[in-house]
Amino acid sequence: MTKTILAVDDSASIRQMVTFTLKGAGYDVIEAVDGQDGLNKANQHQVDLVLTDINMPRMDGLQLLTSLRELTSYKLIPILVLTTESDSDMKAKGRAAGATGWLVKPFNPKSLLEVISKVIK
Amino acid sequence: MKRETESETLPDNTEATCNVIVDEYFTGIKGELGQAERLVNDAVNNLVVNFKYINELSKEHHDMVLAIEKMIIPTDNEAALELLSRQIKTAEKIEQELELTITSLQFGDLVTQLLVHTTRQIDTLHVTLQQLDKERSCRENPGEIQNNLSTVVSTVRTESKKKPVVQQGMHMGDIELF
Repeated sequence: MTKTILAVDDSASIRQMVTFTLKGAGYDVIEAVDGQDGLNKANQHQVDLVLTDINMPRMDGLQLLTSLRELTSYKLIPILVLTTESDSDMKAKGRAAGATGWLVKPFNPKSLLEVISKVIK
Repeated sequence: MKRETESETLPDNTEATCNVIVDEYFTGIKGELGQAERLVNDAVNNLVVNFKYINELSKEHHDMVLAIEKMIIPTDNEAALELLSRQIKTAEKIEQELELTITSLQFGDLVTQLLVHTTRQIDTLHVTLQQLDKERSCRENPGEIQNNLSTVVSTVRTESKKKPVVQQGMHMGDIELF
C-alpha cells in the first residue's frame, strides 16, 4: 500500500522539490503551507510520516510537533524536521517536542529518501 | 526677540528634516531587500519550471533509449550498440545532474529567510532609533545618550544572533535521527 507523507513548508520551491523527490520514489504527498495548515491536514488525513519546516508563519514547526504529539493518532507517527536551522538548542527543542529526526537544508534527494525509508512504518 | 524665536525653531525644522531623511534611508534599505527577495523568488520560480520541463525531457529520452535498446539488441549491430551504450550513460548523467539541481534549487528558501532576518534587524534598529530620538531628555545628558546607544546596539545584536541560516554554500545539510 502506498505510504502518504505530509510535507509542511512555507516555501513553495521547497514543497515542490520535496514533492518531486517523494512522488518520484512512489509516495503520496499532501502539501501544507504552514504549521496551522499542516495540523488541519493531519486531522483530515491519516498520514504515515510528517516532514516539517521550523520557521513558518501562523504556526511554526515546533508548535506543530507539540500539537501533533498531543493527538492519539500521531503519537507514534515519525515526524522529521527539515529546516535551515542547525543550532543545537533548537535541535534539543525539536527532540523534546517529539521529533524523530532533524535534517538541515538543503537536502539531497537520495539521503532524504534513505532517512524516510528508515523511519517510516 | 525675533532672532531668538528663529533660533529656537531652526533646530526643530532641521531635526524634522533629519528624521525624514533617516526614515527615507531605512525605507530605502527595506525596499531594496524586498526587491532582492522578489528577484530571487522570480528566478527560483522560473528555474523550477525549467527543472520540471528538463525532467520531462529526461524521462522521454530515457524511454526512447529503452525503446531503441529493444530494437537494436536482436540485430546485433555493434555500431548501434555502441551508440546505445553512450546514450544510456548520457541518460544516467542527466538524471544525476537533475538530482544535484534539487539540492541547489533550495537556495531560494535560504536566501529568503536571510533577507527576512536582515529586514527584521533593520526594523528593530529603525524603531529603536526612533524611540531614542523621542527621549528628548537624553540630549542634555551625554551619559544617557551613551546608555541608550548601548541599548540600541545590544537590541540589534540580540536580534542578529537569531540567524536562521548559517550555511555558507549549497552543500547537503547534516542529518540526525533521535
